Amino acid sequence: MSALRELQCAVGRAVLGLDEASIVEAIHGDGLEPAARLAIYRHHYLTSLTEALKAIYPVVCRLVDERFFAYAARGFIDKAPPREPCLFEYGVAFPDFLAELPAAAAVVYLPDVARLEWAINAALHAPAEAPVSRADFAQVPMADYPRLIFRLQPSLSFLASHWAVDRIWQANRPENETVGRLDLDDGGCRLEIRQQDDAVVFRRLDAAEFDFRKAIADGKSLEAAAAGVLASDPAFDLAKALHRLMGEGLIAGFQLSSPDPIA
Amino acid sequence: MTPQCDFTQMPLSGKAGIGLRAQHLAEVVASPPAVGWVEIHPENYMGGGPALRAIERVRADLPVSLHGVGLSLGSSDGLSERHLARLGEMIDRLQPALLSEHLSWSAVEGKYLNDLMPLPYTEESLALVAAHVGLAQDRLRRRILIENPSSYLRYRHSTIPEAEFLAALVRLTGCGLLCDVNNIYVSGRNLGFDPAAYLAALPAEAIGEFHLAGHHVNPVGEGEILIDDHGSEVAEPVWALHRRALALIGARPTLIEWDCRIPPLTVLIAEAGKADALAAAALKERDDVRAA
Repeated sequence: MSALRELQCAVGRAVLGLDEASIVEAIHGDGLEPAARLAIYRHHYLTSLTEALKAIYPVVCRLVDERFFAYAARGFIDKAPPREPCLFEYGVAFPDFLAELPAAAAVVYLPDVARLEWAINAALHAPAEAPVSRADFAQVPMADYPRLIFRLQPSLSFLASHWAVDRIWQANRPENETVGRLDLDDGGCRLEIRQQDDAVVFRRLDAAEFDFRKAIADGKSLEAAAAGVLASDPAFDLAKALHRLMGEGLIAGFQLSSPDPIA
Repeated sequence: MTPQCDFTQMPLSGKAGIGLRAQHLAEVVASPPAVGWVEIHPENYMGGGPALRAIERVRADLPVSLHGVGLSLGSSDGLSERHLARLGEMIDRLQPALLSEHLSWSAVEGKYLNDLMPLPYTEESLALVAAHVGLAQDRLRRRILIENPSSYLRYRHSTIPEAEFLAALVRLTGCGLLCDVNNIYVSGRNLGFDPAAYLAALPAEAIGEFHLAGHHVNPVGEGEILIDDHGSEVAEPVWALHRRALALIGARPTLIEWDCRIPPLTVLIAEAGKADALAAAALKERDDVRAA
């Protein structure tokens, strides 16, 4: 291994908190302990990433308080160091980490609030594509409709929760002066999160609309998406649902699935 | 290799610019401040979305400079193709007046340390950084200004002084330099070198931009460490060093950076005005000396 490679691996381990001993010898003290100099970088690594997570998860931070958030963030950072330089992409796995964190188990809705915050963050950093117009769509023969596969706006995502995470989120925004009262008997919600103009918005959908849109977003054909919804809601009006999807500018593209799928 | 370029003839050499951060974005879009230009970290906008569209609106009123923090030019992991491609898209979209990055490394074994880590300065690291700068300049079809880092440590096996390392990098790649005056002061105090001698060792004609920022003095044991936190006004000794840089190097596009405990926009504009006044005085002095 080259001297540079060896040094960077050793410095990397020290910054990640794995091992410091192997690099201390390579550093000038210049009047201080070499370990004290390394500690500056370790400290910056932890604090800057904790701040980055706090910027993405402000409501989670408010729900558990700053000290607990810092503890949880530290555990997450040690378990899942960033792999890319864009920090708005760091922390997608934090909700799952919170779900596995025994000390947070009592706050049952915390992982889903975190999932909502991640969806908001992702929507905020997604491009907005030109929506497909009815004229673009008119060229598709009726007979091909069942095979349509849509590409939706990149900012769009869907979240179903057993908890009213939308109300919990609203009640605990950092700019609120008091912490909102929580009613866990409020029931669950099915949310659609998206960019609208220059903001991110979310709203509740009913079960059929949610299942339909989520199936389309997951890449299912129109036929498969409709079949899934109709199985549980025979009154579902597919034509109206499709019109709404297009009317809201959420369809960014479409293609036809293969007529003879192998499986 | 990219041809050499005379950075004394730059389109931004009028008024100083400011680092544009998310906190001030809406205000700057609504009413462009009286500064020469703005600088952004492209990494904050690489996904797209409302913030990038806001930067495009700012770009209609003010020149924009892209100051990258994510290329990790000194990393033995190699350059990230994905990051280079995203930076290229950003350049196509914003047509920045300047493009800069750092003499540092951030990624190792696939992990990103979210910091500008210091390099050992050796023939080996010079060859690696030069290869990466050359590759990035070819791919981005732009000359990159490389910034001198602020450092809290140095390695025993470094053999080349940092300023000489940067000069060699300019010779090998045709890159330019971003002279961060605060970084020179901070590193000088932390590592015990003379900032004035460091300035004199930089190739003046390659310097295409100055950075100015505040730092924090942190007591450690019996001594102290200066932390380059960009969280306050430019310190008096850094203004003094900048006066010396202006006399030695001449006027260049100059930027006020502020990244933590971010104050109202008016404070940044006032700092930019101070930099303008200093540059005007330094140039007048130089012209007076020449005329005499």
